[in-house]
Amino acid sequence: MSVQDFDLKPAADLGLTPLQRWRSPKRESGLVQTAGHLLFAFATRAFLRIWNRLEVHSQKNLPKEPPFIMVANHASHLDALVLAAPLPYAIRDRVFPLAAGDIFFQSAVVSALAAGFINAIPLWRKKSTPRALQELRERLVSEPCVFLLFPEGARTRDGNYLRFKPGVGMLVAGSDVPVVPCHLRGTFEACPAGRIFPTPHKIIINIGQPLRFPDVPNDREGWDVIIGQVEKEIRKLGEIEFVAHKSPHPARNPAQRIAI
Amino acid sequence: MTDATRQRLFGIDRAFAHPATGILLAAIGIMLLVGLVTILVVVRHLDAERKKELWQRYIGWLVFVPLVAGPMLAGAFWAILVVALLSIFCYREYARATGLFREKLISFLVIVSILAVQFTVLDNWYLLFVALFPLGIGGIASLAILQDRPKGYIQRVALGTFAFALFGSCLGHLGFLANDVNYRPILIFVLAAVGLNDVGAFVTGRLTGGRRLCVNTSPNKTVAGAIGALVLTVLFVVPAGKLVFEGTELGDWSRLVLFGLALSVSCQFGDLMLSSIKRDLGLKDMDVLIPGHGGLLDRFDSLILVAPVAFHAINYFIGVGKDLQPCIFSGAR
Repeated sequence: MSVQDFDLKPAADLGLTPLQRWRSPKRESGLVQTAGHLLFAFATRAFLRIWNRLEVHSQKNLPKEPPFIMVANHASHLDALVLAAPLPYAIRDRVFPLAAGDIFFQSAVVSALAAGFINAIPLWRKKSTPRALQELRERLVSEPCVFLLFPEGARTRDGNYLRFKPGVGMLVAGSDVPVVPCHLRGTFEACPAGRIFPTPHKIIINIGQPLRFPDVPNDREGWDVIIGQVEKEIRKLGEIEFVAHKSPHPARNPAQRIAI
Repeated sequence: MTDATRQRLFGIDRAFAHPATGILLAAIGIMLLVGLVTILVVVRHLDAERKKELWQRYIGWLVFVPLVAGPMLAGAFWAILVVALLSIFCYREYARATGLFREKLISFLVIVSILAVQFTVLDNWYLLFVALFPLGIGGIASLAILQDRPKGYIQRVALGTFAFALFGSCLGHLGFLANDVNYRPILIFVLAAVGLNDVGAFVTGRLTGGRRLCVNTSPNKTVAGAIGALVLTVLFVVPAGKLVFEGTELGDWSRLVLFGLALSVSCQFGDLMLSSIKRDLGLKDMDVLIPGHGGLLDRFDSLILVAPVAFHAINYFIGVGKDLQPCIFSGAR
């Protein structure tokens, strides 16, 4: 019998300065950051439950274990917090909202807050390379972890959907990683672009059935197929009208109302 | 808390009460000036990369000296706080380098154990300080079982207890020296000996070259460098020790020679120990915190094994903190 070598894996972000580390997609959390994420998760969940009477529908659709990607329509800075709210604390350290680099990772202070509390990873909207997306794709499976993603790429300014971009396809095409389509309702009314503190408007998150794309090729056509299906599911979830909810916005106020 | 204790912990007005404090700090200042002149002379003959490395190292020293000497002059509380922060940040670098940081429970237990040691240091509670070494190791090994995850148990616990032994217990001894009535000159003396030993090994090794000491562990270290460091450290420890330990049993020159040898040997083993860890991990530096030096551990590696050696030598001959108020905050006996 011989003694086996230890399996030692230094932090993937070792050798980076603090600012580089906050901005790195390879960032790994230590004890302090984990405490920060959990504390923030607890506080935001409590806030959303109390202030915005957050309602989660079809939570059973969430996969039991990572990896998976949650995608949703985007109307507010609240969206990432709402989308993360139904996830269990046990995996919160492995939940990464993919956030706009030019908003959340420009200055050192905001980068530290985005990384330290929200656990966000930057997506540079005009300069994201295929290499960066490939790194994210690898991390998603190897860690494994959860990404929160808004395929529209920006917040709506009028309540209508923006054009869905195919980035999510690059992360999952040809793999068995599930994509969970979700629809967020009420975040536009509670905290639209330009507003700092949310109003106490009711927020509802409706979680759809996970979608898998193992046979879709990892190329532009495949990404378009994926985003097409994701968009369709999100729109469909948005058409479900919950009892006692009346949205003034057309995208969220279709003629057909389904009470569940 | 007695007035004497308050004065020791927070009193700055008696910072230079022991004549050795001022003399040692002046000597360090002179050494920094000599270093500056030497660099200015040799820097013309070096290539750009070496030149940059040398300046970064020198600037590093210019930052360390006031950062370390300042709290020591300000009071024992601040000195203990600096050692506690050093312990925690050294552990952080080690955990990130080995991957132990992913084991949150073990990391938490190591940090709690380090903080417990630092509390006994601040409290001047020697009996618990001594007891915390086995208790900390036992605690980490025991509580890790609660995860009910036998796969990888040995690695997790071994890395955790090793970390606690080095950064909790060993470095804790440096803090405990602050519980001596003459803690200022003692701590400055120990730190200056360590710094001089490092510089001595670096300079002698570069100047003379020759046979390698541990070629697989640290290819740049030479036998000549080790001997040079040994001689230089003893040459510093004997006269400086005479000043600091005058009138005590450790003030004897033959004991100071042995003390100097022990400090230098433990210093060099500490350095080689970190080199072994880095080689095992395939890393050049533990972090990039300090330009030219790497991480905190890269700079303070030699101190880790020196701390218990210095403490127990001084405690054996003099008795650290024996006439001072014990269990200051806990009130235990």
